[in-house]
Amino acid sequence: MFILHPGSGVPIYRQLVEQVRRLVAGGQLQPGVELPSVRELAVTHAVNPMTVSKAYSLLEAEGVLERRRGKAMTVAAGGGARATLAQRQKQLAPQLREVVAAARQLDLTQAELVALVRQQWGQGS
Amino acid sequence: MSDVDVKPVIVVEGLGKTIKGRAILQDVELALPAGQVVGLLGKNGAGKSTLLDLLLGFALPSAGRCSIFGHDSARLPEAAKAQIGFVPQQDELVGMLTGAQQLGFVASLHRQWDRALVDRLAREWELPLDRRISTLSGGERQKLSVLLALGHQPRLLVLDEPASALDPVARRRFMQEILEIAGDPTRTLVYSTHLVGDLERAANRLWILREGRLAFDGELDALKESVVRLHLSASRDFATLPALPNALHASVQGRLAQVTVQAWEPAQAAALAAQWDVEIEVEPLGLEDIFLALHA
Repeated sequence: MFILHPGSGVPIYRQLVEQVRRLVAGGQLQPGVELPSVRELAVTHAVNPMTVSKAYSLLEAEGVLERRRGKAMTVAAGGGARATLAQRQKQLAPQLREVVAAARQLDLTQAELVALVRQQWGQGS
Repeated sequence: MSDVDVKPVIVVEGLGKTIKGRAILQDVELALPAGQVVGLLGKNGAGKSTLLDLLLGFALPSAGRCSIFGHDSARLPEAAKAQIGFVPQQDELVGMLTGAQQLGFVASLHRQWDRALVDRLAREWELPLDRRISTLSGGERQKLSVLLALGHQPRLLVLDEPASALDPVARRRFMQEILEIAGDPTRTLVYSTHLVGDLERAANRLWILREGRLAFDGELDALKESVVRLHLSASRDFATLPALPNALHASVQGRLAQVTVQAWEPAQAAALAAQWDVEIEVEPLGLEDIFLALHA
């Protein structure tokens, strides 16, 4: 479900926080859905469990996730409300900056980049 | 995690070691609470193994002191030693014994020994325990050394380059076991390695030694957030290299400049962009790049 790059300059906990936020904002993770346990996620991705629990705690503090007593972390009822278009667009900003910077290095025009985005979109995931 | 002992597991105060007039380690100060996984990084000769030797009481400091579980490292009582597991860089295996024999011998020295854990790991790590140690490969010897250090379930595990000879598959399995231990808030790991990728997965804290001095002691996440590479693009060629505060390294090519900085705060970007009349792209750096930048 998550794509984590431990070697990236973006700390693992932040990668996780941003992905959960995106999945919840986009409605892919619906309220009440259980997330994998800290241990499960840590072992699957071979990352430090403290990193995972740090991400979960931050998301809990933000109201995106909630911890039911003795149960797994779940998507919070309120936090699961689909974010507005503007909020969802804003979450894509870091990736967009990278794509635009790379396109400029390649000397692509705006129209050429947009054409590529259309083409990629058409190919599905 | 509220019931966890908050007393530091390791305390280091003004620690120094001089060998034959040469300062190997100087003025090291550390305090490590339980439940942490510390990665110890440094170039060859930076003092990593010396620090571990002093911590474990294998050598005496020339200045200052260090303690484990509140006991001076130079005079660790047996009860404290029984709570420590150590995997040395140069293993201390007995070539004429089989793996099973050496494990049996070490197990007999400990009051508690998790035979089931050791057997399970030997099986999972495909370690032939019936062979003489002298016939084992470098990687197999490392696996056996780790088993010897894990069997008594130590509260403090000190690893000096434990995985350098392991292939990628074995290393991943080893890391998963390390992470299993990391999940226990009562257990503490100190892990010295050049395999930066392993530390990015396992460590939540870093100690970086540079020429015998502590160059960094803090959270890995905080280090990644504080050392970044700025890509500046101006409308015309840079006449001089932009002098940014906390710059570690800078280079200019025409109207593009790259500056690696430490103590970075995202709010600085706007001010710098205005000051230099440039566009700024902030590139987060992986630990290997950060390590290189700190040693530039």
